[in-house]
Amino acid sequence: MMNRRDFILGSITLTMLGSPLFSARAEQLEKRNLVVVLLRGGMDGLTAVPPRDPILASHRPDIMVENTLPLNADFDLNPRLQEFYKCWKEGKASICHATNIPYTMRSHFEGQDVMESGGRTPFALSTGWLGRGIHAANLDGLAISLPMPLLLRSPTSVDNYYPTYLDAPSLNMMQSVHASYPADSLLAQTMEKVISRPVSMMKSTSSRDAHDLARTASRMLAKPDGPRVAVFDIEGFDTHASQGGDEGEHADKLADYDLILSRLKQGMGDAFDNTLIVTLTEFGRKLDQNGGNGTEHGYGTAVLLAGGLVKGGMVHADWPGLQKKHLFEGQDLNATMDARSIYCSAMATCFQVDFEQLKRDVFWNEPLVDLTDQLFV
Amino acid sequence: MVSRANFFRKVGFGLKAGDDIPSDPVDWAQAQVDVAPDMVWDAPIPTDAEMQDNYAKFVVTDRIVLREKYKGDRDGYEAAKDKLRYETGEKYYENLELCIRHNTALKSGAPVFERLWMFWCNHFAIIDKDFLPQFSTGPYHREIIRQHMTGRFVDLAKAATTSWAMIHNLDNSESVGPNSEQGKWRKKDGRVATVNENHARELLELHTVSPAAKYTQDDVVALSYIMAGWEHKWSKKREECNPVKFNQKKHQPGTHSVLGIAYKQKGLTSKNKLIDALDDLSENPHTRRFIAFKLCRHFITDEPTDAMIAPIIKAWEDTDGHLPSVHKALIAVIYDHTNKELKFQNPEVWLLQMVNMAEMNWPPQAKDMKYNFKTKPSYLNPQAENIMRELGHNPYRPIQPNGFSDLERDWISPELLIRRLALPQEFSMYMKSQLNVEAIIEKNCSFPDEPLKQMSKMKTQLHRLQYLFPSYWMLKA
Repeated sequence: MMNRRDFILGSITLTMLGSPLFSARAEQLEKRNLVVVLLRGGMDGLTAVPPRDPILASHRPDIMVENTLPLNADFDLNPRLQEFYKCWKEGKASICHATNIPYTMRSHFEGQDVMESGGRTPFALSTGWLGRGIHAANLDGLAISLPMPLLLRSPTSVDNYYPTYLDAPSLNMMQSVHASYPADSLLAQTMEKVISRPVSMMKSTSSRDAHDLARTASRMLAKPDGPRVAVFDIEGFDTHASQGGDEGEHADKLADYDLILSRLKQGMGDAFDNTLIVTLTEFGRKLDQNGGNGTEHGYGTAVLLAGGLVKGGMVHADWPGLQKKHLFEGQDLNATMDARSIYCSAMATCFQVDFEQLKRDVFWNEPLVDLTDQLFV
Repeated sequence: MVSRANFFRKVGFGLKAGDDIPSDPVDWAQAQVDVAPDMVWDAPIPTDAEMQDNYAKFVVTDRIVLREKYKGDRDGYEAAKDKLRYETGEKYYENLELCIRHNTALKSGAPVFERLWMFWCNHFAIIDKDFLPQFSTGPYHREIIRQHMTGRFVDLAKAATTSWAMIHNLDNSESVGPNSEQGKWRKKDGRVATVNENHARELLELHTVSPAAKYTQDDVVALSYIMAGWEHKWSKKREECNPVKFNQKKHQPGTHSVLGIAYKQKGLTSKNKLIDALDDLSENPHTRRFIAFKLCRHFITDEPTDAMIAPIIKAWEDTDGHLPSVHKALIAVIYDHTNKELKFQNPEVWLLQMVNMAEMNWPPQAKDMKYNFKTKPSYLNPQAENIMRELGHNPYRPIQPNGFSDLERDWISPELLIRRLALPQEFSMYMKSQLNVEAIIEKNCSFPDEPLKQMSKMKTQLHRLQYLFPSYWMLKA
């Protein structure tokens, strides 16, 4: 297996970002897009990016992933991540492994709350790390979902998009309704977003499969004056039963992610090279399979990085190993890296804001590590 | 005197223009919670057992019969499966059930009971998984939740926890005690034998004591051991669709402690351990506090105070968790806080309030649905389901076991707001008569002056509808 210090030693390329690190206004910046894909339910890093370690098969005899795609001497890739693998080969995809947000209590709802808020205490914050980052950088974002994910909520209102077949009333009517909402309330701010929308976003339509949504997002992100941040939400990674290997439910969910990646890449054209697509989940899953060919809630997992802004072809990990003594609470892949370091570095790269500033404004100056040079172009 | 007209929306679906205003609103509301009204539907309602037969027929026929019969004939398979879908209800029953739910909510004569029913259905939520929304969740709401709302919490908790829908929903059938009889065979075969922690964790976190009780991972595992063996068996004839039974052969033997209380076998099987644990979890002070808090958060404000939840906790303590008494205490607290606190109305409640107050012909009735599990109904059939999906609030399809949120900020986004803005026009076609908008506002809004003033500027009935229902006056109660 790889050395525990590989993350520090193996992946450094000592280039510095050439551009000034401070941005004032969006128009003056090169347009870089950040897409976050939420993988809800607990994405299993050991199924997505299985390490080449015989210990894994001994714990999971019935749910091993077969026909894996080779990444390097230590890791393989789940075969349902075809588009990701293409990106990997083009030098536009990497992986951070044995990482997670600082949450170890195994509850989905608490875990999803802190993965989005970026804090340590569940249900303590009403804004998300991405929303605060966008706010700090004075940019704007777009959620491709019907409700507004906590991740994107910020001191000011953020936009979302989700097709409907219903027709909105006239602008006049919306303005009258708006006047009934208390000034500066979330309702009023949200209504202002609706009122200021381009007509194209208000057109009624009925299609909303992941395919079309990703295409819509890619079109908006590719526009020079379009939003720079998008969030996708995929449910269903909580495979307590019939998790399976290549064809199981966990692999099906990974394929959903892969489809989004593929549509974004196709739809964005050259803008894909100025884009970063990162995954976010609440926790990984236990090393042991359970009695129903599934896995229980765990801790450490993997973060998938794709897009032209990624330094490709690397599995970054301070790999803790799968021997019992190295497992978290004797049960899970450990997390040796605070995943918020990845997210803070991703925002610094895409928003062209200094890492230290974001660390302070978004993450309360917690001891996160600046990984912008290691991970991103 | 400022009226407390908001109360009728806070606890129900508002009053119609022609309704008498109850002289004692608290009495009026409290009188509705002692008995569970019959479901209101002008046709026979399928039972849980009947729908379970349909579930079995669907999965067995699809997985075994059709795949064998139409091997290599994709078109033949698809056609046969489509027929199977309307013959079993897989395609149209969920919509029928939704109409039964909404019809009952509007016409049972006890809107306060119906609001509480919706609360408890969401508390013991069944997620959108497998074919649960299509066959099981509606019957579970009617036969498990509704029927246990007039007794004690502990009996509701026992019924919900051991119901087929919940056991399937949270994977408890997959649990095998590592030292159980079956666990030992499995290990001999080189197979894995462990418990599935999903149900035990949610029972603690979401259904009873909540994380405030500070249970540990060891408590979760111990409760999983206690629950191991509560399963629906698989059979060739009915696949997973067999009644929930306790199977001692999968149960983890021994004594297991949860939150400091040890549970051991009494009598011939270990079936008592879960029942005993549910007795203690229901009596745990964290449970009554958590549920009193959730009730206040659902009906009164996003941020309930200790003063609000105290009388509800007291009613629980005085009556040993007798739900009608708890609900009556809640109603009194809601009345006391009417006008002081404004609660954002979730989409389903808001829709039903609009339909009720504006007297719209909704939902479709049995005679309109024309669905008999034999022939394919009209394309209009799935209307209710489409609308609820648009609003992001199909009650049979919560995405996670914590159900739908009670917080305003979770229900506000530009897209969710567009749905509220668009729906009045969509529903204007269901209007029965001229809208008496002044009477609706006076009977349902504690502060009627501003909405009445705005109404006077609206020239058409459609404009009045389009303005009033997404306005602040109706989004909040």
